[in-house]
Amino acid sequence: MEATTFEKAENPSRSRILERIRAGLRTPAPDAHGPASSGVIFAPVENPLGRFQQECAANLMECLLTADINESAADLAKVLDSLPQGEIFIQDAPSLRRLLELAKPARPMRWSTEGGPREASQVTITLAESLIAQTGSIFVTASCGGRGASVVAPCHIVFATIAQLVPDLQTALAKASKEGKLESNSFACVISGSSRTADIEKILVQGAHGPRRLVVVLQR
Amino acid sequence: MSYAAQKFLEDAAVKSADLAHREVIRRALDSYDAAHLRGRSRIHDWEAARQRCQEIKREAINHLDRYLLQFEEKVIAHGGHVFWAADAQEACDYISNLATSRGVRTVVKSKSMVTEEIQLAPALEKAGITVWETDLGEYIVQLRNEPPYHIVTPAMHLNRRQISELFKEKLGEEVPGDDPAELVALARRTLRRPFFSAEMGISGANFLVADSGAIAISTNEGNGRLCTSVPRIHVAVTGIEKVIPRLEDLAVLWPVLATSGTGQGITTYSTLIGGPRRPGEADGPEEFHVVLVDNGRSALLADPEQREVLHCIRCGACLNICPVFRNVGGHTYGTTYQGPIGSVLTPHLRGREFEHLSYASSLCGACTSVCPVKINLHHHLLRNRRNTAAAGDTKWSERMMFRAWRHAMLHPRIYALGGWLGRKTLRALYGLGLAGSIVDPMRVWNLRRSPLPLPKESFRSLWRKSLGRRGLGKKGLGRKDLGSNDL
Repeated sequence: MEATTFEKAENPSRSRILERIRAGLRTPAPDAHGPASSGVIFAPVENPLGRFQQECAANLMECLLTADINESAADLAKVLDSLPQGEIFIQDAPSLRRLLELAKPARPMRWSTEGGPREASQVTITLAESLIAQTGSIFVTASCGGRGASVVAPCHIVFATIAQLVPDLQTALAKASKEGKLESNSFACVISGSSRTADIEKILVQGAHGPRRLVVVLQR
Repeated sequence: MSYAAQKFLEDAAVKSADLAHREVIRRALDSYDAAHLRGRSRIHDWEAARQRCQEIKREAINHLDRYLLQFEEKVIAHGGHVFWAADAQEACDYISNLATSRGVRTVVKSKSMVTEEIQLAPALEKAGITVWETDLGEYIVQLRNEPPYHIVTPAMHLNRRQISELFKEKLGEEVPGDDPAELVALARRTLRRPFFSAEMGISGANFLVADSGAIAISTNEGNGRLCTSVPRIHVAVTGIEKVIPRLEDLAVLWPVLATSGTGQGITTYSTLIGGPRRPGEADGPEEFHVVLVDNGRSALLADPEQREVLHCIRCGACLNICPVFRNVGGHTYGTTYQGPIGSVLTPHLRGREFEHLSYASSLCGACTSVCPVKINLHHHLLRNRRNTAAAGDTKWSERMMFRAWRHAMLHPRIYALGGWLGRKTLRALYGLGLAGSIVDPMRVWNLRRSPLPLPKESFRSLWRKSLGRRGLGKKGLGRKDLGSNDL
């Protein structure tokens, strides 16, 4: 079947469904124009860095605060040393090339310009679009090494700077919308911790199908 | 009585008497209750959040055609395909044909209630395609060949021992001590190969963002991320009602969905996907298809009184708080969507055979009080009952009983006589030890419970003797004047 099979002209139900929707909506719902909400839903974030660190801990993420690139490289090297041997997948970005030059990991490296991460990757290293203090999240897009970079390996390390911190989800999404992040990327994700499940007796287990560890190296 | 109604009554009787089952559910829901309350406390003004979510969904549903077209236009502009399916058959045919035409032999699926609703997995298997459920709970119930028990927690009814035995039988590996972490690790190892060999990944969507042309998926395990990242084709199957106007609406919808669903502040992976892999991106599917499923939703939309049922974001909060769900369990409903929302929705989606579910409620209103988009669930259950009665779908005996009751209410002496006769008869039966027997008019209640204590005197008599002496005659009696026992 060719892709053209899926064009609109060959989707006869499309017009029928739209017609049914329009016919249905001709009778307005009794509550179609209710009162607008006015309350403050989320308390303002007054100390973004403190809140981010606090939420990271709650999300079972590791946040390593560093003073400069040398300290970031040293912390990165320590995290890498604690992991089993195996390939590192890295987003191909000048700042990460510089960081890896300083960290000098003694293991094979694969850059995102060579394709996505391999199944056997032990760790991935990427940048982020922004960090969200309210939820202790990192906001990534396909530009941050692709889709698999933040989910395939058992450990995901994010290198970010304090300047990337935004107070809340509203700001992060408004910024993404304004900058057209979903126009230029096929994928975006707000990641708030390591992969987890509570499907067995509601007991929390980390590392269901994605990373067991999520480490943020946060440089001042 | 329909077969579905008869089966519901039989299964409900069995499940509500199964104390081990009730204990598993009680533990799971106690854990949820605590997490839910903690989650709500993290939101400064929970009621304002609910109201905002209601407004977003109301705007979307009342302009559904406009927002769906905006979403479609964006998806196509980004290289994706949008298919509109009038019913389950059309949706399954489209996906099966797509899969066979692309030489797909293995599909990995993330959790999606719409795919359960349209029975997609059996349709694909019929076409010779192997389907792997990859959400842990879904994987467990797939191995047991049973439907999900709960819309958010599919294997809520099983304890670790049962899951460990299942894995030993089906996967051939024993997990010492039934350790949940080891059980999860075993599932992870088993599903790794399908993730990296499947040609097609199928997901649902929690929201369709009109202004961005992106689907939004909320997951915790990462299986949804792998299903939508690794295979070369991604198909998202979703109901037409999932659309929302703006990307920024997620700033409140994501936290509210997570809080209501699991008690989390936000789910681990709040993902947006707006098409196939773009040029220059490191990875991602080459094809992206969105299947918009109607399957009865447009008919519900045409009912202005119940249109708001389409606001549902499938968080499961109404199931968790429902006293009926807590006792009869998820499978008893015999539907894709269980609990109060399922009881409201299913008669609209699957027809009058499921009208009996409107009666599977005490009308206590707990579901309405927790709904994060403020759907007036218990009133919709009542409206469904009204519709059933208006259509004449009630038993002759029930109609006669209500007619007699109405007559008695209009004639106080007959009412008093009926009460007197009832008390005398029941007292005599209970005295003979016949409570719960076939001759007991209260048999359904007394079968599994101690007999209801019978009052020595009627309310009218009590009123004359004591309540009336309080001198409330002129003012009348308000609710505050009566204790709960009196009511």
